[in-house]
Amino acid sequence: MCLGIPGKVVELRDDCGFLMGTVDFGGVRREVCLAYVQSDIQVGDFVVVHVGFAISRVDEAEARRTFEVLREMSQLDELEWMEEPAAASLDAMSPQPQAGAAP
Amino acid sequence: MKYLTEYRDAGIARSLIDRIKRTATRPWTLMEVCGGQTHTIVRQGLDELLEGAIEMIHGPGCPVCVTPLEQIDKALTLAARPDVIFTSFGDMLRVPGSDCDLQQVRARGGNVRVVYSPLDALDLARRNPDREVVFFAVGFETTAPANAMAVWRARELGVKNFSVLVSHVTVPPAISAIMESPDNRVQGFLAAGHVCAVMGWTEYELLAAKYRVPIVVTGFEPLDILEGMLMAVEQLEKRTHVVENQYVRSVRREGTPAARLRVEEVFELADRKWRGIGEIPMSGLKLRAEFSEYDAESKFGLGDIRVSEPVECHAGEVLTGKLKPPRCPAFGTRCTPERPLGALMVSAEGACAAYYHLAKYRDEPAETRAAS
Repeated sequence: MCLGIPGKVVELRDDCGFLMGTVDFGGVRREVCLAYVQSDIQVGDFVVVHVGFAISRVDEAEARRTFEVLREMSQLDELEWMEEPAAASLDAMSPQPQAGAAP
Repeated sequence: MKYLTEYRDAGIARSLIDRIKRTATRPWTLMEVCGGQTHTIVRQGLDELLEGAIEMIHGPGCPVCVTPLEQIDKALTLAARPDVIFTSFGDMLRVPGSDCDLQQVRARGGNVRVVYSPLDALDLARRNPDREVVFFAVGFETTAPANAMAVWRARELGVKNFSVLVSHVTVPPAISAIMESPDNRVQGFLAAGHVCAVMGWTEYELLAAKYRVPIVVTGFEPLDILEGMLMAVEQLEKRTHVVENQYVRSVRREGTPAARLRVEEVFELADRKWRGIGEIPMSGLKLRAEFSEYDAESKFGLGDIRVSEPVECHAGEVLTGKLKPPRCPAFGTRCTPERPLGALMVSAEGACAAYYHLAKYRDEPAETRAAS
């Protein structure tokens, strides 16, 4: 029960002063209560849904930003990996033993 | 789905794992609070990939697992009544009570129905005015807004044949209890992203300062969890202890104010027993006095009951990180998801079930585990 699932709001509906809507979870559509997020929700927004209630809006710009940071971090690491073997082979060629190598 | 599958990128995951290993100058012990995170960690084998850098203790954040036996037995009593339609989230049906579970009560003729949302239970009450509909209101701060709204709506609509059997728990008092336990080993927390989506993280700022422990609000996808781990390890290495938010896309510092408000209007704090752990002061929610007519316990006169757990179940030690599920003598032999001894073997969010379902990917066969 405790797994929150992100989905896309495809329809908003007023049910006697109670904001309900349809949310699409990758093709599966469900009735969801949107009363808790109604102040900043529009059709097309993503929300996190727990047991039939949207508990939070997913900020797409932040989702993109976090992912880009992680991807850049990963690309940077790849560059370091490419440099490491080169540095290692230079060490191997060096006649002098390396004391106190960096951790 | 945009920005969901991306957070499962294997290449970036490898890079994060490598970064965590390079950052950690010694092994650190972290706890992920939420069962959803436990599921991802065990399923992806993140704990094994980070061996030597991080030890993960799986926290008590699985509502199915910590709902006390007393409340399960009360649910079984209510579900057996001929005048009651007992409604529950599906994963509570196989939680063992003292004698049986809800599924067995249903097989014997009890009217037990699985609902997706507490509003479905309320609808059922409106469509069956001659029956009493009881909803099993369990869970953490993530289900509390939904359960609070169902009670609120019942009052608004004047529905009299609806009530809730409440067994709500909250995360911050559990973190305090863990940090104050004399044999605590946890040095940093991954806080449950969706609990914080509702509640925000201001309460956690007090905990981080009081216990000098880093707390990282973390999401549920593999990259979320790895980034949360990296942020916690970086804090531990720098000797800082603040609240950071990894799960920026869904969590704001103030949470979701409308949801918090409704929870506070309907519920108040109460002492609550956690299955396998014991009573934690002011760690639960109960209905406020003005909603007492929706309280199934008083409506049906369910008093205090005495219970005893099976001695063979070591759930308490698992929940506090003293025992890994595969090391339990009953794991996979006398305790399986088909015949669980304890609640941790029931739900996919439970640590024992998470290990059991992935045992085939693990290096230790069940026989060795049982023998060791």
